[in-house]
Amino acid sequence: MMNWNLYSRGDKFFAIVVSVLVGMFTAATLYPFIYIAAVSFSSGFAAQAGKVVLTPIDSTLEAYKYILIQPEFWLSYRNTFIYTIGGTIMSLLFIIPGAYALSRPQLYGRRFLNLFVAFTMWFNAGLIPFYLNMRDLNLLDSMFGIIIGFAVNAFNIILLRNFFESIPESFEEAARMDGANDFQVLWKVFIPLSKPAIATITLFCIVARWNGFFWAMVLLSSEEKIPLQVFLRHTISNLSDDDEFAMTQLEAAYSAETVTAAIIVCSIIPVLLVYPWIQKYFEKGILLGGVKE
Amino acid sequence: MQSESRLSKIGYHLRREWQIYVMLLPTIIWFIVFLYKPMYGLQIAFKDYSIFRGVDGSPWIGFEHFEFLFSNDQFIRAFWNTIIISGLNLLFGFPAPIILALLFNEILHATYKKTAQTIVYLPHFISSVIIAGIVITAFSPSVGIVNTVLGWFGIDSIYFLTKPEWFRPIFVGTGIWQEAGFGSIVFLAAIAGVNPSLYESAVVDGANRWQMMWKITIPSILPTILIMLIIRIGNVMEVSFELIILLYQPATYSTADVVNTFVYRQGIQSGQYDFAAAAGLFNAVVAFVLVMIANTLSKRYSRTSLW
Amino acid sequence: MSGVKLSQLVKRYGDLEVVKAIDLEVQPHEFVVLVGPSGCGKSTTLRMIAGLEEISGGEVTIGDRVVNRVAPKDRDVAMVFQNYALYPHLNVADNIAFGLRIRKTPKDQVQKMVAEVAEILGLTPYLDRRPADLSGGQRQRVAMGRAIVRHPLVFLFDEPLSNLDAKLRSQMRAEIKRLHKRLDVTSIYVTHDQVEAMTLADRIVVMNDGAIEQVGTPMELFLNPVNTFVAGFIGSPPMNQIRAEISGSSNAPVAKIGDQLLPLPASADVADRMGADVTVGIRPEHAEVHSLGTSPLNVELELVETLGSEALLHTKLADTPFIIKTETEEHFSTLDQVSAFSVNPHQIKVFDIDTGRVLGQAGA
Repeated sequence: MMNWNLYSRGDKFFAIVVSVLVGMFTAATLYPFIYIAAVSFSSGFAAQAGKVVLTPIDSTLEAYKYILIQPEFWLSYRNTFIYTIGGTIMSLLFIIPGAYALSRPQLYGRRFLNLFVAFTMWFNAGLIPFYLNMRDLNLLDSMFGIIIGFAVNAFNIILLRNFFESIPESFEEAARMDGANDFQVLWKVFIPLSKPAIATITLFCIVARWNGFFWAMVLLSSEEKIPLQVFLRHTISNLSDDDEFAMTQLEAAYSAETVTAAIIVCSIIPVLLVYPWIQKYFEKGILLGGVKE
Repeated sequence: MQSESRLSKIGYHLRREWQIYVMLLPTIIWFIVFLYKPMYGLQIAFKDYSIFRGVDGSPWIGFEHFEFLFSNDQFIRAFWNTIIISGLNLLFGFPAPIILALLFNEILHATYKKTAQTIVYLPHFISSVIIAGIVITAFSPSVGIVNTVLGWFGIDSIYFLTKPEWFRPIFVGTGIWQEAGFGSIVFLAAIAGVNPSLYESAVVDGANRWQMMWKITIPSILPTILIMLIIRIGNVMEVSFELIILLYQPATYSTADVVNTFVYRQGIQSGQYDFAAAAGLFNAVVAFVLVMIANTLSKRYSRTSLW
Repeated sequence: MSGVKLSQLVKRYGDLEVVKAIDLEVQPHEFVVLVGPSGCGKSTTLRMIAGLEEISGGEVTIGDRVVNRVAPKDRDVAMVFQNYALYPHLNVADNIAFGLRIRKTPKDQVQKMVAEVAEILGLTPYLDRRPADLSGGQRQRVAMGRAIVRHPLVFLFDEPLSNLDAKLRSQMRAEIKRLHKRLDVTSIYVTHDQVEAMTLADRIVVMNDGAIEQVGTPMELFLNPVNTFVAGFIGSPPMNQIRAEISGSSNAPVAKIGDQLLPLPASADVADRMGADVTVGIRPEHAEVHSLGTSPLNVELELVETLGSEALLHTKLADTPFIIKTETEEHFSTLDQVSAFSVNPHQIKVFDIDTGRVLGQAGA
């Protein structure tokens, strides 16, 4: 955009200050992750003594061993995959056709129906009625309940609807004159034309599902159904109060903190693996939604 | 005659367009079952609810829960905590992404900029459980890096997460750490939309980068800033209570407990559903009014509504 | 082959009538162009024929079938859109074949038909390309290919050339004309460009404000516009229109323009308006500057615009802008000295000053 060689001395000074500030903020963002990783590979003793700053002290994998041999860890990992994949597919099954229908000018009561959807963004009944409703529907402690109960949200529908509305009418009209019905228009024209928007929504769904914690904690009571995040929470909060654990760690090379750090690392890794792929889309995606004329 | 032709018109329309109604139906049913039915269930805020009698069978008791609510110190405290934490978020958390976007805009080195952006966006994708885990570890009195650093200066360990006066700074700071980077995307996009010839003519006029930032970039993105500010104000009642649940403890309730965590404790943990629903309803109504005001303001100042 | 008939066709949006009870009969094989300024209702009319717009009143007949309640896909019409509406995720062959596949045409037949159409349009080398990798003219051809391949009863064109630059536009104009000759399918073509209308049409329909102003062959419209709107719309540059007062005698009427006199063709209509104001219309092409005839009019030359073989002289006649189109050959050096022109009285049109309707013309 601008050429360094054309910068005045003052501008160069300014640019250097800016680079340093950004560097500091970036380092501050990154540091906690490095710190956690360092703790996870340190011995419990070194961690307890507050020696870990940047690199592992008395490197050991004991904390990882402790966590990775627990079958509950793997079970919750599997559950999270089920919730993420199942939930995302379920979401798309509702959102794509719904957003398409809401974007059609020929839909009777379109204004009302759009308001019907959007209203839930501004007003919701809150935790208690939602919880009681799930109970009335017999969806407490149900994996299906988690998948269906959070399948749709107004924001994603509106985001995709806006994208569909921005597709020139003639695409639909041409397909119609060629003999396509609505399902064919959606499947053969709109979905291929909306790949970036659909990728963005898929991404939002995946991230929300992967990170989902609160409702899984509230709604699920069986150990074998809980997702990774709830398992993490249980482990993190139980370790420090657990006498039995306190006994074992006396002889072991791990502590509550190093185990916590190891769990954190284990659950961040999948996020880091898909992150580059995610990043391609979210910058566009976040701008798709938001403000509408 | 008129109505007959109208009827045949509707019949023709449905024969021709039935498919979009089929596509819409599941979504509408979902909204009714999972979002509108709970709204119907909100009436328990005015009832003496019992699980066995159900929503419809429980007797009405008028505003009794609300009277109790407004004389409940814990609720009033939670309400003010919500406002205060949101206010601090607004004061410190709102300018952060704008400043970050302005800084990013001044960086010439493309790879440096891209790398920095990639890193600062990352925390947004990390779950609250992990964020809380990181915070708990970093601020722990024995292993925590914060206390380690304080130790270098001869300061005694502080058990931060049990100290009410430290909860809000830690919570707001964590919010900035997690969201400032991601929040800058919107402002960077606004900056990217500024007509480059404005800068070129400023260069010709002899302006330096600092002046260009203040005289061109900031005024150009002001509408975006305004809209984002209005959205934030509209969402004042929405504090990320998930993270609060993960970080607070009885010792810090006095500064940390917000309406939603209060509702969670009273309702789901203690089973006082009707009373908690009343607190939730109060929260939702205040939030709704704020959002409506925000939208009206946004319409007036920018001619764009938020939906 | 079928014609298209519009009877008392109306389109209303709430209280706003955008197409006002128009009647039109398009003969089988005919190429009819609807032309008019934007917002005149021409596109809406076309879209009602296509079935993309609901009909508020009247009837559309294709062949001998009233199609008001027939879905677009069952009307057996094909349409070429202004923005082509090519699917960016499909290559040329798949774009052309889209409609055939939707209609479940057997595979080998699809291939044969696509190849045939590609041959006609010169698209054979590009069948594997995506629309993004094609030039504007090629995209335009694919859009036509998609229409042709279905062998419809009627072709509809909605401003298909308006996204092309001037040179490609004239090239594609010729190509559409050739195509029509070859396929001989009834075609209805909408444009706001009168040059397109003049060059393509068997008959032109001039529309304005939701109504039809005049229907006729290009030359009919050029030589005998029924009103000042058509006169001002057809021809480039359009007909000069000057306010004048009728004087002289009933069998030798003259128009008084400022203090100059212009002999007019005698007619009863003109004679009736003795002493009244009228609008006098003179085509720029009909103003003769090189060998002045009887009673020339003096003009004030302001600007010479040279186009090559022709030049436009921007002048003022009694303080009203007046454009003269003349040949440059042999006279080029003297163009900047032009100070007068003459015109054959039979080429002068006289219009009512209020209604704009032509005076003294059979059928007007």
